[in-house]
Amino acid sequence: MSFFNNIVRFKTNWFFVCFMMLFFNGHLKAQETDYKSYALYVYNFMKYIEWPESQSADNFVIGLYGDSPISNEFKVLAAQKKLKGRTIVFKQCKTIDEAAGCQLLYVTSSKSSSIKPLDEKYKDKSILIVGERDGTVYKGASISFTTTDEDELKFEINKKNIDSHKLKISSSLIKLGTVVK
Amino acid sequence: MKKIIVLLVALFNLSFFGYSQVDTTLIKKDTLSYYDMSLEQLLSLKAHGVPSELETLINSLISVSSKKPINVRETPSIISLVTEEEIKKSGARDLIDVLRLVPGFDFGVDIEGVVGIGLRGNWAHEGKILILLDGQEMNETLYGTTQYGNHFPIEQIKKIEIIRGPGSAIYGGFAEYGVINIITRQAEDINGVSVSGTYGQMEKGFGRKNVNLSIGKKTKDFSFSVSGFLGRAQRSDQTFKDYTDSSYSMNGQSNINTNYVNAVLGYKGLSLRVIGDFYKLQVRDSYEKIASHAVSHEFNSVFSELKYVYKVNNKLTITPKFNYKTQMPWKSPAYDNESVFSKTAVRYRENITVSYDANRFLNVVLGAESFQDYATDNIDSSYFSNGKKTVHYYDVAFFTQGLIKTRYVNIILGARYDKHSAVSEDAFVPRIGLTKKYNRFHFKLLYSKSFKAPTIDNISYADSNCIHSEYTDFREIELGYQITRKSIITINGYNINTSEPIVYYTTQDSSSITDSYKNYGKSGSIGLEAEYKMKDKWGYLSVNYALYSVLHKSRIDDYRTPNDMSLLGFSNHRVNFCANWNITKDLSINATASWYSKRYAVTSLDSLGQAVQTSLNPTTLINCFVRYETPVKGLTIGAGVYDLLNQKIKFIQPYNGGHAPLPGPSREIIVRIQYNLNFKQKIN
Repeated sequence: MSFFNNIVRFKTNWFFVCFMMLFFNGHLKAQETDYKSYALYVYNFMKYIEWPESQSADNFVIGLYGDSPISNEFKVLAAQKKLKGRTIVFKQCKTIDEAAGCQLLYVTSSKSSSIKPLDEKYKDKSILIVGERDGTVYKGASISFTTTDEDELKFEINKKNIDSHKLKISSSLIKLGTVVK
Repeated sequence: MKKIIVLLVALFNLSFFGYSQVDTTLIKKDTLSYYDMSLEQLLSLKAHGVPSELETLINSLISVSSKKPINVRETPSIISLVTEEEIKKSGARDLIDVLRLVPGFDFGVDIEGVVGIGLRGNWAHEGKILILLDGQEMNETLYGTTQYGNHFPIEQIKKIEIIRGPGSAIYGGFAEYGVINIITRQAEDINGVSVSGTYGQMEKGFGRKNVNLSIGKKTKDFSFSVSGFLGRAQRSDQTFKDYTDSSYSMNGQSNINTNYVNAVLGYKGLSLRVIGDFYKLQVRDSYEKIASHAVSHEFNSVFSELKYVYKVNNKLTITPKFNYKTQMPWKSPAYDNESVFSKTAVRYRENITVSYDANRFLNVVLGAESFQDYATDNIDSSYFSNGKKTVHYYDVAFFTQGLIKTRYVNIILGARYDKHSAVSEDAFVPRIGLTKKYNRFHFKLLYSKSFKAPTIDNISYADSNCIHSEYTDFREIELGYQITRKSIITINGYNINTSEPIVYYTTQDSSSITDSYKNYGKSGSIGLEAEYKMKDKWGYLSVNYALYSVLHKSRIDDYRTPNDMSLLGFSNHRVNFCANWNITKDLSINATASWYSKRYAVTSLDSLGQAVQTSLNPTTLINCFVRYETPVKGLTIGAGVYDLLNQKIKFIQPYNGGHAPLPGPSREIIVRIQYNLNFKQKIN
């Protein structure tokens, strides 16, 4: 009986060790998306894209459609930076309709399927639609992010979409990204 | 016991908490200055922030299994990656020490004291595993073998990319079961002068006396490096016993002499490489008995390559290359009843590979290759099977690969077609791979056909002069899960089926032994491999397990054992363990261990001359190495013990081929000293 007990105790102890190793440290997630990099790019899109004068007087509104930790970065950006003297305001959009007052709308990966209806709804408005998901630039976004095999963060530009929203993109920003047709 | 558990848990948690604190510090970086980055600085931004040590390793790009660089977790093969850090810190004496720790790999003895390689229970010595050293095919072209034991310059290796599975769809007829791609330190890595020396002492005699010297420099367009290795070693200091219990001491009669040089000149995309590799074994192990005196067997090779990597634009790369290798493998004098053997084999190879990135989601590789083999028998009274002193064969091949990346899966489709002048049936080997990484989880689903083309002497010694390529079907699956930022677990399964393998056998009459080859029967194995890896600044830990079985599989008679699960020479179960602890920034201690379940070996003959097999007990090899980077800049010293328990593991012949198990080294104490003198300016 004591032999059996020893085996049970031995197994229990090792199970305990494995459990501790695997799960108590579960809060350390796999390599996570660095949303700060995404937000920095968005800030530069704001700097190097021109909106019509009619929209250049008031606050600059960044909208976020979909839930994403990038909201924290946008809040920091709005609190600490200005855009050519204009106050930056962050707005969490729960519906497509709530995006109406935004100058820039960041659409999260989970809401990528909404990019086409967003583009159609606001086709005459000067809203820069930025898609988080790779390839959304082909589905109505003006700019979308991509990552290389080396994990570098890049972006693609759909010039036609930008033009249709009556926005002007600077040549230096075009040089930095990849223009798609 | 409880105290140990508490200590272990505390250690793991301490290390994790330490990491968390670093993260917190990073978050407090100055946001304002961050947002003032210039446009050019944006180009260096990463999508996933600062990777952990482990993430850097498992997300590193390799091209061994796809030509197009893909990260380790998504590349379409079961892969092991061995880094320079792991090799250096483990104190590995040679490639055997490194590969023993890789799941599925093991070693056995062929004839004439040559140690060869096996994978997943299958003897792969004769041209079934391709060994590339800086892109050069190291397998000799007479039989396709590569010889192990103090052969390759372990201290010059930068990394080893290993495919533990088929590679024929890219590499052709030597890559049926696997590919070992050794990449040595190049000019930019050396960037100065590097000298090292190793001395090993076994129980009864010296183990090895090795010297390495490397010099290299890279400027913007020009690079050069020259590396040399001079090795003097002994296979063993133990007593060899043949089938009749006759014996001799291998101490002083099992020398391994290696002279090696690797030189490369590069200008922009153009490179010229020359490797000289001269390997000599002293052996007394003869067919079924001991030779009257020690005899030298030589394997002399010169490899050269001219290559140009032409980047036409960002999407298109064209790489033409020309290779020339001349070899005199298995060169041996006449002794006892054995005849002198001296043949020269020359291979010219031309290859052009085109890689085109149509867009970010589609890459296409197209290539054509041809080689011409010329062999000459240098002995007056000896001829090839065509009755002439020379033979000539050629092979023409075309290969292609498409890599399609989608959101849900990466699809890799490829194939290779080979037409060999001496083989009636052309080889065609397709492959398909589905892989994807979803944050922590990844999977690989792989199917590939592969082949082994008959070599010059396979054809020459073919039974009834009719031999053809052997084909293997591979089905593999891998699942991986990154448990934390510092640890990952992977499990893979495989099913290998080889049809009509080219089997070596001997026939003996009163005066001579005749070597022959024929396509015969079926072979293969089924099994699984699992690996846990943890890596952080404090060091790393890995544990792997490998299982193979041939239960319900067809077997070649000469490979059989009394156990339905096993093949001769190779353990069904293997466990490897490796742990490294960086005690300080300069001082590390490394422990490795390999456990072998029981193995079967032919150890004697019965009264009818039939092989008698013995089961050898499970064995554990334990090794320990301490490495210290001294305050003298560039000077590193190390010392360690290999085979701490003095198990003296034997190399078993994995087929019934007339050779008793060959003793390996006894406990070996090694000391190593290395000095790197870096040139002042390093240009990347």
